[in-house]
Amino acid sequence: MKRLLTIALTLLFLTASAFADDAAEVGKSLTVRTFQFKYKKAENAATAIKSLMSAEGSMSIRPAANSLVVTDLAENMKKIVATLADFDVEAQPFRLTVRLVSAGRATAAGDAHIAAELRDLAPKLAMLRYNILDPIGDAEVTGKEGDSSQIDLTGYRADFKFGEYDPASDSINLVDFKLSRLAADQLAPLMKTTLNLKLGQTLIIGATKQPQSQRALMIVFTAKR
Amino acid sequence: MMSCETFRMNFHESTEDAALLAHLRTCDRCLDFAATADPDVMFRALGGDDLVPPGGIDAFVDDVMRQVRVRDAEITVTAPHPVSWTRRLAVAATLAAAVTGATLVYRYDTAAPPATRLVRAPIAVQRAALTTKPSVETYQSESATIVEVPADQNDNVKVVMIFDESLPADL
Repeated sequence: MKRLLTIALTLLFLTASAFADDAAEVGKSLTVRTFQFKYKKAENAATAIKSLMSAEGSMSIRPAANSLVVTDLAENMKKIVATLADFDVEAQPFRLTVRLVSAGRATAAGDAHIAAELRDLAPKLAMLRYNILDPIGDAEVTGKEGDSSQIDLTGYRADFKFGEYDPASDSINLVDFKLSRLAADQLAPLMKTTLNLKLGQTLIIGATKQPQSQRALMIVFTAKR
Repeated sequence: MMSCETFRMNFHESTEDAALLAHLRTCDRCLDFAATADPDVMFRALGGDDLVPPGGIDAFVDDVMRQVRVRDAEITVTAPHPVSWTRRLAVAATLAAAVTGATLVYRYDTAAPPATRLVRAPIAVQRAALTTKPSVETYQSESATIVEVPADQNDNVKVVMIFDESLPADL
């Protein structure tokens, strides 16, 4: 009888312990950490981890010390620590390839043509009914975060600045990309934009007046380390 | 020896006369007669005044009441439970074991990371899973329409169209 009672009580104790552990997990506690940055600005670090913060999390920037105080769940803090460790590194070099492509829509099947070097883009642009693809120019440039750059493409010029690398999205910011067209020795600005280029991914920015326009300018970006 | 006639002539309620009480012990008919007039007469005839239980009447009553309560308690405990307590304990232990087992299995499946998770993924892949940013962060013209062509997350080519009336037609 005593043996049975002992077994029953032990099992009940184990059950209670298991549920007590679950309850403890539900009530995850917040942890606070201070990060000081050597190479990057604290406000940029805050932007980099903003998307990783939980609803319970908060952060405060101390510009004087270039530090960031982060409060969040312990489980979430691991991701934040890893991201900020990757973030606060010396300016990294990146290689950027820019291609300018003239795209058009041909109604007659015989008029459609795709340049051999642009066949990698054809399937994506065919979805937008662009079946004429002609290369205008291309350039490759290497630069570090914070470097300004200028590239000349046939009849066009692009000015931009390499922004900061965002480890959370694995992308490099291309700040104030200004595209101008050279006409009669004069540069006519066409557009100014800031882009996020995911490393290794090809980004095609198509510019045109209206969706039904028959012509468009395609700017093809590829950023790599 | 007193005759029945003499007894009936001399008998009265609450009598303590020894001769009368002695006659009652030998004569059933006079006992019936006397009991109708005095119900306690038989007790007195037997010498009932001297019949006090050992320890006194109060102790006797307490003992009797204790026995009554014990019987009541026994009836309360045993009557409504057709299943023995050992069987009930066995059922409780089985249920507790089942709940414990299920809880531990659940916790193992959900909380314990499998060994493969310990392998650190390539940095690029790991980061890609964290967040995504808009390809076009800002654009000079607020009237422009920016459309991102739907694509798979793992698609290597992404297309964003900018429709801007301020752009020249001969691009």
